[in-house]
Amino acid sequence: MKKFLTAIVAMASTTCALAQEAPTSPLEISGSVDTYFKYDFAKQPNIKTSFASDHNSVSLGMIDLVLKKRTGKASFVGELSFGPRGQAQSLPNAAEDVSSFHIQNLYVNYDFTDKFSMTAGYMGTFIGYEVISPVGNFNYSTSYLFTNGPFQNAGIKATYKFSDKVSLMAGLFNDWNVYTATRGVSSIGGQLMVSPVEGWTAYLNVLSGAGAGGYGTIEDLTTSYQISKAFKLGLNAANYDIDHDGGGYAGVALYPQVAVADAVTLGLRGEYFKYKEVAGVAGDKYTAVTFTANIKSGGLTFIPEVRLDHNGNKPFVKDNGMAAPNAGQFSLAAVYAF
Amino acid sequence: MRYIFLLIITLFSATLFAQQKQFTTDDDGKFIYYKVVDSQKVSKGIIVQRTRDFVAAQKKSIKIVIATDSSVSAKGTLVIDKTVLVVGHPSGEVNYNLVVQARDKKYRFWLTDLEFIPYQRDRYGNFIATTTIGTPLEKKVDKLTASQWKDIQATTYAKIEKLGESLKAFLATDATVKQPTKPKETISTKKW
Repeated sequence: MKKFLTAIVAMASTTCALAQEAPTSPLEISGSVDTYFKYDFAKQPNIKTSFASDHNSVSLGMIDLVLKKRTGKASFVGELSFGPRGQAQSLPNAAEDVSSFHIQNLYVNYDFTDKFSMTAGYMGTFIGYEVISPVGNFNYSTSYLFTNGPFQNAGIKATYKFSDKVSLMAGLFNDWNVYTATRGVSSIGGQLMVSPVEGWTAYLNVLSGAGAGGYGTIEDLTTSYQISKAFKLGLNAANYDIDHDGGGYAGVALYPQVAVADAVTLGLRGEYFKYKEVAGVAGDKYTAVTFTANIKSGGLTFIPEVRLDHNGNKPFVKDNGMAAPNAGQFSLAAVYAF
Repeated sequence: MRYIFLLIITLFSATLFAQQKQFTTDDDGKFIYYKVVDSQKVSKGIIVQRTRDFVAAQKKSIKIVIATDSSVSAKGTLVIDKTVLVVGHPSGEVNYNLVVQARDKKYRFWLTDLEFIPYQRDRYGNFIATTTIGTPLEKKVDKLTASQWKDIQATTYAKIEKLGESLKAFLATDATVKQPTKPKETISTKKW
C-alpha cells in the first residue's frame, strides 16, 4: 500500500503544472423520481433481482436528489435517495431501521491537471453495466449480475487520462456497500477505459478484496457501441471468485437497442448467470430475457417491460404453490429525470 | 370595451411570445447564424489573425480545421444548460462549424452544421454525452419530443448569438495594444 500511495503522490507532483484554472460553475441540482406497477404471471414476486419487488401494486421507486458544484479545480457531488429503491433496497441504510435515506454518492474531486485527478469518498461502483438510478438503466428491472455485484465503493482513487481514447483508474476501497470499512481499507481496484473507434467505449474492471461472502476478486467487462444513429449494442461480462473455494458467480448479458422513432427505443436484455460451486455443491444457473421499451417525452420516460426467467432447479413458485423452472412478469414504470 | 382591451393585450402578448428569435436556414435547409460586418479600418490579414487568436483563447471548446490568408474554418462545442429558476445542470452539447472569411474593410462569419448531443447523469452524478452521433438541430421531430426540442433550439440560438457577438467584439479589438493600467488607489489615514 505504501508503494501505491507513493506512486500516486509522485504522479501528482510531477504532473502538477500551472494549468489554466478550471471555471467555477453554479450549484447544479438534478435528480429523478420513479414509480412502477408490476404483475408476476404466477401472482407472487418470483424474480428476486433488485428493485421493482412488489407484485400487483402501484409502488414507489425513489426520489433521487443530486447536488454538484465546481470551484476552480475542486468539485463535489452529493446524492441522496428516498423511497424503497433508495432506502432498504439500496445497500446500506444510513440508519438502523428501514425508514431512512440512502447516500448514492458523496465525494470530492480535485483536478490536478487536465489529465490527472483524484477522488475520495463514497461513490457509485465502477463495476458493471447497470446502476441503482433508474435514469442510468434502459431496463427497469435489473440483471442478476447487477444484483450480485457491488453497488457502491467507498475509497480513494486516481484517474489519468492519456487521451480521449484511453484512461486508467486505480484506487483503494473499503469492502463493498458500506460507509465504514469492517476489515480496513482492504480492497484494491482498477479500471482501464479504451475507446477504439468513435462511439465504442469499453471498460475493463477489476476489484480485489473484501466483498460479498468474503475476500475475492471480480473481473468485469462493460462495453457499449453506438453502431449507428438507431442501433446500440451493450455487453457486460463478469466473474467473481471468493477465496478458499467460497463460491462466487459468473455471467454475461447482452443489451441490443434500436430507436424506432425519435421518442421510442426498443431493447432486449439477454442474460446468463450462474452461482459458483461451494463445498462441492453446484450453484444455481439462470437465464433471463427482458423486452423493454423506452417512450420519452421531455424529462419523462415511460417503460413497459416483459421479463421471462428460467432456472432448471425450479426455485420459482406457480400460482398453485408448485415449484416451477420458469417465471415471468410484466411491468410499467414511469421515470422523470430533472 | 373592457373585454376588447383585454383581448388586444392577450393577442399582443401572444405575438411577442411567438417572435422568439430563431435560426435562419441556408440553401441546404441547415440552420445558420450569418453575419456580415463592416470593418473599415481593419485589414484582411489582421481579421484572420484576430480570428486565430479568438480560437486559441478558447482552445478547449474550439479548434481550427483550416486556415488560409483570407479565411478560418473551425469546429466547436457549446454546452447547453437546463435551468429551473436559478439552478440547473448541463442538458447537452451542440457541435458547430464556424467559418470566418475576410476582405479588406469587411468580413463575414457564419455558424452552421449544428448538431445536438443529449447528456445523461452517469453513476457518479456527472452529466456526460449519451452518444457520439449528434442530431441536426433543424431536424423535424415527433409530437412527444417537440416541446423539448423547441427549448433546445431556442437555448442554442441564444448561446450561438452570444458567441457571435463575442467574436465580433474580439475582432474589433486589437488585443496586442496594451491598455495603460491605472495605479491602484490607496487610502492614507495619516494626513487629512
